Amino acid sequence: MLPYRSRLSVAVFLVPPLALYAVAVLLPIGQSLFLSLFSWDGITDSQFVGLDNYRHLLTDGVFWRAFANSLGYLVICLVLQLGGALAIACLLTSIRRWREVFKVLYLLPAVISTVAIAFLFARIYSVEPEGLLNGVLGAVGLDALQRPWLSDVSTVLAAVSAPEGWRFVGLYTIIVYAALLAVPRDLQEAAALDGANAWQIFWRIRFPYIRPVWITTTIMATTYALRGFDIPYLLTGGGPGQSSELVTTYMYKTAFTSTNYGYASTISVFIVVECLVAVGLILLVLRREKTA
Amino acid sequence: MTTTIAPARTSSVDAPPPPAPSAQHRRSPARIVSRVLVVLIAMVQVYPLLWLFVTSVRPERDFASGNPFGIPGSITWDNYARAFDQGHLGQNILNSLIVTAGAIALIVVLGMMGAYALQVLGFRGSRAVRALFLLGIVVPVQIALVPLFIDYSRVGLLDTYPSMIIPLAAFALPMSIYLFSSFFEYIPRETYEAASMDGAGPYRIFARITLPLSLNTVVTVVMVNAIFIWNDFIFANTFVLSEGRKTIPLGLQNYIGAMGKVDWTATFAAVCVTVTPLLLVFLVLNRAMIYGLESGANKG
Amino acid sequence: MSAARTTRRLRAGLAAVAAVASLGACSGVRGDSGAVTPPGEVKAHPVTWLLSRPADGATITVMKQIAADYAKNHPGFELNLITTPDRPSYIQKFETLAAANKLPEFFDTDATPFAQKLASQGRMLDVSKLLRSYGIYDDYRPIALNYQRFDDGRLYTIPFEYQAEYFFYNKALFAKAGVTVPRTLNDLPATCTALRKAGITPIALDGQDQWPLERYAAYPAFRAAGPSYITKLKYDDASLADPPGQATVTWLAALGKAGCFQSGFSATGYADAQNLFTSGKAAIYNIGTWELPSLATSKLDPKVRQDVDFFTLPNNPGSPTADNEFVAPSGIGMAVNSLTFDPLVRDFLQLALTRYPSLYAATGALSPTTNVTTTIPKDATPLYRKALDQAARVGPQLVMPWDTQLDPTSNTRLQQDLVLLVQGDQSAGSFTQKIDRTIAQNAPKKPGK
Repeated sequence: MLPYRSRLSVAVFLVPPLALYAVAVLLPIGQSLFLSLFSWDGITDSQFVGLDNYRHLLTDGVFWRAFANSLGYLVICLVLQLGGALAIACLLTSIRRWREVFKVLYLLPAVISTVAIAFLFARIYSVEPEGLLNGVLGAVGLDALQRPWLSDVSTVLAAVSAPEGWRFVGLYTIIVYAALLAVPRDLQEAAALDGANAWQIFWRIRFPYIRPVWITTTIMATTYALRGFDIPYLLTGGGPGQSSELVTTYMYKTAFTSTNYGYASTISVFIVVECLVAVGLILLVLRREKTA
Repeated sequence: MTTTIAPARTSSVDAPPPPAPSAQHRRSPARIVSRVLVVLIAMVQVYPLLWLFVTSVRPERDFASGNPFGIPGSITWDNYARAFDQGHLGQNILNSLIVTAGAIALIVVLGMMGAYALQVLGFRGSRAVRALFLLGIVVPVQIALVPLFIDYSRVGLLDTYPSMIIPLAAFALPMSIYLFSSFFEYIPRETYEAASMDGAGPYRIFARITLPLSLNTVVTVVMVNAIFIWNDFIFANTFVLSEGRKTIPLGLQNYIGAMGKVDWTATFAAVCVTVTPLLLVFLVLNRAMIYGLESGANKG
Repeated sequence: MSAARTTRRLRAGLAAVAAVASLGACSGVRGDSGAVTPPGEVKAHPVTWLLSRPADGATITVMKQIAADYAKNHPGFELNLITTPDRPSYIQKFETLAAANKLPEFFDTDATPFAQKLASQGRMLDVSKLLRSYGIYDDYRPIALNYQRFDDGRLYTIPFEYQAEYFFYNKALFAKAGVTVPRTLNDLPATCTALRKAGITPIALDGQDQWPLERYAAYPAFRAAGPSYITKLKYDDASLADPPGQATVTWLAALGKAGCFQSGFSATGYADAQNLFTSGKAAIYNIGTWELPSLATSKLDPKVRQDVDFFTLPNNPGSPTADNEFVAPSGIGMAVNSLTFDPLVRDFLQLALTRYPSLYAATGALSPTTNVTTTIPKDATPLYRKALDQAARVGPQLVMPWDTQLDPTSNTRLQQDLVLLVQGDQSAGSFTQKIDRTIAQNAPKKPGK
């Protein structure tokens, strides 16, 4: 704390950001909480229904299906983004030249808009006309694996999750890569002299060292994945059936297709709680590992 | 979140990369495999952009009846002519620039101010305020759509630039405050104390010390947010009503015709046109951005 | 800004505040939907039309031209066209604007349950009274108006087009597979099987946009019981387990089993489905006359140009409907906001609606009125005229598309589960049960009940 700060100076710096945040984030959350107790279609009179919307949530099969899909989407995104980032960052540290160029290339997909990405992946997964993925499978003799990826209920969730994973893997790679570079060399060399193999060096020295960064990136990736919306919405609209419906797309449709604003707000409240729980769990697990 | 500070304060990331740790055998199979993999991954990441461009110069019928992944039989710029003809690309780009610039300015200025109040000035209850901001990192933007629409219509903000700028900035603010806070932690206490001894108040310290030192973090915050804001679809789609305020993602929708019919090659031409500004900025500033990402997140 | 306009704005603003502050507790925006001749003088001011039509389409082009002419005589007048051609995005925008009480002078909507609520709140003008007061009511094709009506017969939206939907097919591919045009609706699965055997994709379907598959759902029920079935089903007064509903369910399952649609149809977009047909890969394509400029044109790939023909929705023996009764929509309609209706809006609309038919028909499209003749484009093939002639002979009973009839929640569920049914991922029994349950939970209350 600065010795010369005054209450006024704190207020001068704090009030503008807090005001913006309060108006555009906190107020809508409050309004959502309020709306979630009503039944309202936007044009006729709203009715106070108490906890009815929450009761409906508990028995709504589509909602729970969407929740399960969201968890699947989360897992696939995390594996692709964090697992991918760690693997690629390790690969990058093992090459000598062109590292900077590769970093730029890896980050490129993050620049493309989700609308364009959805167009693109619709082409890649297509079967009639034959898309890239099925074309490649056919070319290498794996015809048996060819399928309509976005129409097959068993592959569609993975198919809509992969573009999101692909898109941001470069971002996390760069963060993890920088963390890996920061691991002191002498520690690693000492371990190598003691006869540790590359695997042991990684898990005993490097990974514990980057754990704080790992927690940050995990939280980032998790919250972004729980917000996931654009690509599944644009690629399949949740179909076939409810196979790729996420909680966010379901909420959006409930609000803007069914004009059931009260129930949609109830789902919003659920999403907020879900995200808070997820972040809490991450902190709990990763911190405990640290102390263990 | 304070536990997430990297312990490695000493090793600077912009130092020349040290030789790889497992470099005992330069020509070992493992090294060759890893090189091949690095190149393969780069191809997976870059190919889609190339495909976008190739498709945008492909004749319409060639795209429709041929293999969309093949090499085009001939090249045409007609798609670009149609893209400019059917849409309002210039206006869309201008609108996107205004919205992005406005939101980014708010994110940087307010983020820095908030972090300064929380991290440098400090006050009682700052932990509670920090927690309040963290909530914003976590909640999804979709929840704000209905309430904000209602609020905007009350105060007459619908279909204006601020209607997009306000929520875009507000939802990015927590991450910005977080990044600035973690950076401010690295400015040594002694710097501030010395300045205070010289009689500098909080405003002067902010202007003379904190601000000039945080330029790298500013670049990080700008670039990361620019990507999201430039491509924002959901707020624009909800709050923009007239043609004159449409941003790029909405402009792309003009290529969707009746009953869902899309002029694909013109759409891809439009995508190429609209990706270009961001791509140019990215290619010019990538060093600063990557540096910012590395240091920002690693210090955070 | 005129005083009247200021007051109006103020009133709308206050209403919005009241609606929101009390969460809509009696918003007090009851306009008089009967007042088609507002008193006062014509004072020019900008007018807005919120619409969902292609940005470069004939309707917009023609209306822009009419508005520009009108503005010359009425300085200060301007017609702002806010179009969102993508229908789901449009509906979102339209419904949020309605919720915020910010609907402009004109807005597009189908005769949905949502529109019905707006109408019963007095927020839309009674269009039959309006058209009669202009003296042009009788110019309209009765079925073009009927398509716009609510179930109780009231008319609140103005049609701007008239279309007929056909099964376009490729004669050469039919010959190759040795099949002829299906004589009954129930023959279609067998036609598909034969085409599949010959290595031809039977039907090209735009599954991504949902409505095309939902059309197929409407056909058997219509042939079995006429147009009344869906109007009962949507209020939960009929069940999908009833014979007409089961006719639809079993027919769709049969279509799926016969492999009628291309593989991966649920993710195929509009343009891709059409390309399958126009490139000669698929044999049948079910679409409306709005696609004539791309299906009956000399610009079409010469390989298929001469082979394209169409048949209308096949009938079934013993059907209460006639052969010439099929889907003939007059498109999304335009509603007139009764809260902003003033002498200027009335004056402009009169001119626009009077001039529109001839200008619109000159573009090669079918006018919703009968007082003009459509100009056949120069590059059209003979099929163009044949299609237009057929459209003029449509019978009085209409196949209403189900997506404009069902409540949105049931509609979404139906659209999603239809794909599962056709793909064979869901049994006919469980499909029937789920849809019936969803409709029972979400069906709107019948007006007046």
